[in-house]
Amino acid sequence: MHLSRTVFAFWAAGLTGHIVLLVVLLTRHRARTFPVFTTLIAANILNSIALYEIALRGSAHTYFIAYFAFASLDLVLQLAVTYELARHVFCPTGTWAPDIRKGFLLLVLTSLAIAFVLACLPSPPEKTILRTLLDRGNLFSSALQCELFVGMIAFSSTANLPWNTHVARIAQGLGFYSLVGLITEAGHNILAGTSIAYQNVTYLRMSTYLLCAGYWIVMLWLPAPAPQELPEEAQRQLFTLQRRVEYDLRKLRALKR
Amino acid sequence: MTIRNLDFFGFLFVFLAVILGIGTYYYLRNRRRQLYPYGNWDELLKRLAPLDHQNLERIAADPTALAAQDNHWVETMSPEDIWRLLGGMRGIEVMEKNCSVLVDLVFYVQQWYPEALLIAEQLRLNAREVEWHIGRLKATAKSGRPPAAAAEYLQQAVAIYFQMTREVLALYQQGNLPGLADLQRAL
Repeated sequence: MHLSRTVFAFWAAGLTGHIVLLVVLLTRHRARTFPVFTTLIAANILNSIALYEIALRGSAHTYFIAYFAFASLDLVLQLAVTYELARHVFCPTGTWAPDIRKGFLLLVLTSLAIAFVLACLPSPPEKTILRTLLDRGNLFSSALQCELFVGMIAFSSTANLPWNTHVARIAQGLGFYSLVGLITEAGHNILAGTSIAYQNVTYLRMSTYLLCAGYWIVMLWLPAPAPQELPEEAQRQLFTLQRRVEYDLRKLRALKR
Repeated sequence: MTIRNLDFFGFLFVFLAVILGIGTYYYLRNRRRQLYPYGNWDELLKRLAPLDHQNLERIAADPTALAAQDNHWVETMSPEDIWRLLGGMRGIEVMEKNCSVLVDLVFYVQQWYPEALLIAEQLRLNAREVEWHIGRLKATAKSGRPPAAAAEYLQQAVAIYFQMTREVLALYQQGNLPGLADLQRAL
């Protein structure tokens, strides 16, 4: 299988970007906080090397099957990263708030249904079953990710839960990529696989991903702003306030009885 | 382009509009909350429900600080008079809600004057005390005891609430903060 110069340049840039990002994650000790995200990046490195080897030595069909397998793994890992980010935002102490958990489950189910309907709607021109499945799968994945991120923003805002800096940066990158991906995958689903427009849409998606990888490299390299320490005076006041509230609550409880 | 693809683009357009709409709404909401953690000035003032402050002053007044004839009036004020002057149960509920707004008003000032924390904490404690008195009052009303039994709680709650309004006004006056005139009208 012959690779054009442009495709090779994208491949090389993607691989370099992923390697740098993995090094940042490991050396800046972010891998401990984001193990699934680190796995996703490591899987992408493996994906790039394996697909390159297959593209050079294997047949087009083998390449496509391998591509499909890696795309499925990518989808699963991206969803796992979304769950990892949700855990950071919604259960920082390790316990999900009961109202958030129920709402989050509802959000996932609704998002799955809407993304499924959206992915089933387009009627692609003549393509192989595997290619159609891949294009629909990518559209489904982008739509689902967009819905989950917007839902998470809405939930965190309603529940007044803050986003840790690094969690927010990873989510921003993935969210932006999914939003652009939604548009490019819509194009993929209605264009013929061999057309130039189809290729250009692919380049747009790849460029967006490279942009996001660059953003993650910079943001995850930078340290998160150090949390402000509570002044001693404020700590004392909070302690007194808490004692007073406890006392008042006891009085109120006694009143109820 | 097939009709099905047209439907797809219609659905995609609506989907994108909704996603971007919801995302922008919550983004702006978060930003506004970061800028004004306790709401902006107009929203805070809107939350203050009207109460007749002359009546509150009469209920809360310290008899020694008043002229002879007023002093006599306060001493002879019956529980029914207090209840009527405050505006009954509605007045009590308004007072309870206004307490939390008063605390927020001080936190609003604290964005520029961190030293207002002490007053804010004091007001928070006062607000809890008002809640406590109101709780007793409601319990008395539920148990069917005569209003005379609750007059003491009511008068104390009004006195604390009135004191809170004066403290907030004094804080705004000392800081020479904008919006003092609006606040004086609202309180």
